Amino acid sequence: MKKLALAGALALGLSACGSEEPQVLNLYNWSEYMPQEVLTRFEEETGIQVVYTTYDSNEAMYAKLKLLDDSAAYDLAVPSTYYVSKMRQEGLLMPIDRSKIEGFDNLDPELINLDIDPDNQYSIPYLWGTTGLAVDTADVQGEPVTAWADLWDERFQGRVMLTNDMREVFHVGLRVLGYSGNSTDPQQIEAAYEKLRELMPSVRTFNSDAPRVPYLEGETDVGMIWNGEAVMAQETMPSLEYVYPKEGIIAWLDSFVIPKNAKNPDAAHKFISFVLRPEISALISEEIGYATPNLAARALLPEEVASNRASYPAPEDMKNAEFQTDIGDEALQVYAKYWEMLKSGQ
Amino acid sequence: MTRWLSRAYLASVYLLLYLPIVVLVVFSFNDSRTGYAWGGLSLRWYQSLFNNHAMVQAMWNSLWLALSAATVSTLIGALTALALHRYRFRGKKVLNGMLFVVMMSPEIVLAISLLALFLLVGIQLGYVSLLLAHVTFCLPFVVITVMARLSGFDERLPEAARDLGASDFTMTRTVLIPVIMPALMAGWLLGFTLSLDDVVVSTFVSGPSYEILPLRIYSMVRVGLKPEVNAVGTLLLVFSLVMLMLSQWILTRSKR
Amino acid sequence: MKPSPMQQPFRTAVLILVWGWLLFLVLAPNLLVVGASVMSRDPARFLSLPLNLDAYRQLLDPLYLEVFLHSLYMAVMTTLACLLVGYPFAWALSRVGKQRQVLLVFLLIVPFWTNSLVRTYALKLILATNGLLNNALLALGWIDEPMKLLYTEGAVIIGLVYLLLPFMILPLYSVFDDLREELLMASHDLGAGRWATFAHVIVPLTLPGVLAGVMLVLLPAMGLFFVPDILGGSRNLLVGNVIKNQFLDARNWPFGAAASILLTLAMAFLLFAHKLSKRRLGEEGGA
Repeated sequence: MKKLALAGALALGLSACGSEEPQVLNLYNWSEYMPQEVLTRFEEETGIQVVYTTYDSNEAMYAKLKLLDDSAAYDLAVPSTYYVSKMRQEGLLMPIDRSKIEGFDNLDPELINLDIDPDNQYSIPYLWGTTGLAVDTADVQGEPVTAWADLWDERFQGRVMLTNDMREVFHVGLRVLGYSGNSTDPQQIEAAYEKLRELMPSVRTFNSDAPRVPYLEGETDVGMIWNGEAVMAQETMPSLEYVYPKEGIIAWLDSFVIPKNAKNPDAAHKFISFVLRPEISALISEEIGYATPNLAARALLPEEVASNRASYPAPEDMKNAEFQTDIGDEALQVYAKYWEMLKSGQ
Repeated sequence: MTRWLSRAYLASVYLLLYLPIVVLVVFSFNDSRTGYAWGGLSLRWYQSLFNNHAMVQAMWNSLWLALSAATVSTLIGALTALALHRYRFRGKKVLNGMLFVVMMSPEIVLAISLLALFLLVGIQLGYVSLLLAHVTFCLPFVVITVMARLSGFDERLPEAARDLGASDFTMTRTVLIPVIMPALMAGWLLGFTLSLDDVVVSTFVSGPSYEILPLRIYSMVRVGLKPEVNAVGTLLLVFSLVMLMLSQWILTRSKR
Repeated sequence: MKPSPMQQPFRTAVLILVWGWLLFLVLAPNLLVVGASVMSRDPARFLSLPLNLDAYRQLLDPLYLEVFLHSLYMAVMTTLACLLVGYPFAWALSRVGKQRQVLLVFLLIVPFWTNSLVRTYALKLILATNGLLNNALLALGWIDEPMKLLYTEGAVIIGLVYLLLPFMILPLYSVFDDLREELLMASHDLGAGRWATFAHVIVPLTLPGVLAGVMLVLLPAMGLFFVPDILGGSRNLLVGNVIKNQFLDARNWPFGAAASILLTLAMAFLLFAHKLSKRRLGEEGGA
């Protein structure tokens, strides 16, 4: 018994020691959404160690935050547009102390003070982007792909990839039918499900961790992709094209938020300020291909990045574009049910 | 003829079982970035692994968890087996049944039930929750291993010890423990193996304060080809093998 | 056995420890899950009153039923494949010299020393369109264009078989190891042919091992959610994926709990069958 007690004490003691490290910032972010260089530079400059954990959907991030609520596990997270308003309304966020944030004025006036968070009390824009079509032109012959509806073409049997994101996939189904991508009407959602079901025989995989990879691996040739992922893929695979579909692109804005119970809000504020520095924002946009809302950073971007229409769409590309909005928990349940059916069906 | 056939069959199944492991080890030394083709010998993935602070930390965490979970479950499991073997008490059958059910339960069932418990009781998801969970699913395997050894054990030995005036505790220490030592080793090894291999339970009961490999690796593998993962797998394998050989060496030496 | 004065505290301490552990970490959590399954979903917190059976009604929704049946189908295929490979394997293994047996059983365990996620990833390297298998077959000229193996139902089943095969082999091996050579010879002497010996002696005697193996494979084969995630392209979902999604994504705890109870019931059914087969065997052995 003595030995057992000793072992127990030892185990507990060691775990206690483990948590008493100097300064840690627990950053919860989408996978592959922050260059390692940024983290390294932040660590070198401030001495704050960044623990970087990733998720592949807003739902997963939200569920985990709620799960770990009291244990104050994360200091910073990066939800998309509609989740910012949801989390803010549910009181899950800590107000951001603007006096501790440097460089807020650099942000694009079009992307601040939005409905999701008036006056940016709780969120600071990180990156914005779009979800469009990826086409591997080396392997896709015949008619060019210009619309979401083209994915239903028979020649793409077993070659299509969709993101593993319920809202985005249904967005496509709804748009093809001419509905809004933010529909809350159960009948429209069901219709979209029926439409997407027809697509399923063509779908090889869902991927939201790195939607570029199935294209690079040669598993899929056409389908959905995030613009930044397309830009990253083009480095090794120039034949992969990013297409703005006729029905309209899916647009989103991801913002930094600080969970209400964060242990180290000071470090979180420091990190936001660090990212808002023009040279850091420029580095991020250049490395991972998404558009920075930071106008000062835009000015620093090399010409080929700033003029890349995949990263920075021209006004005509944004025709019919729709931002995702909060659709409420009830509609979300309807989506969730059809989503599971869709993914499990044959 | 049949003898030859059955040998060949055994060999081919082992071949299939080890093929992915061989691929893992070989490709961890592959220089190619694209991952599928051989691009020459290189240690670059080990290098990039060791530069990845979080990954190395997760690897140590995983190993430390497996070591501690195996040790705690061996201690508790051995005591349980002794109690089941030697004492008569009420609810013995229930205890036995519960252990059996834990062993047979799908991990996912165990995982969510423990998650619910930890949330309700307020145990922070981290090392402690992981340890409790891992010990729980290792426990029945240790008990069974030790029980098997005890059932083949000559009952007269402890009697004799007691007749010679040894207390129960002394008898346990000087007679029983040496007898069940091989079973303890086997049980410990089983616990270590199960803990290191686990993904399902760990996914549910771990938090960012104590990250272990499955969670670190999970999104990495889903992201696509990450040769660092091969390197991690190889290191785990080598570490376990070295440890096993060390324990065997100590065991044979202490016997002499 | 009369307890000596030293024995009592030792015994009490051990029993308290064991019972405490099991009650706190096995019984209580399972009761919590049962409780959760009859509560209502709550978007803000996780659970709320009133109590109802909605979650179970949802299980019977034909749409979810389809998911479960498909998962069951894949699990059954996995189990069959494991049995088909594992049965002769365990038999052959039990006929090898004792010393070598120890080594061979040990070799079954070694692959577990890299995490199962890592091993699943290694399978992906083999099965991918540009992967090793396709490359090898192309080089040999056996196929003209790469087969699409990854992200299919077949890939999920291969992954499950690979991860679970040892769990089928080990219980089978232990029954084959107990199978006495004399029994087989007796059967032979009584004039039974090879086939009759197999059908009337070997199969019934190894049945408990088969059922134990089935239990150790079938149930996890419905729960290992990471296999469809990696090899199935997030399609071909298992019950485990549904449960995980309910807890970690959709936050419908009652439904996730009910689905988990479904698995527990399946386990209870298999345990019962296992017990029955053992008892029958006991009767026959006694007769």
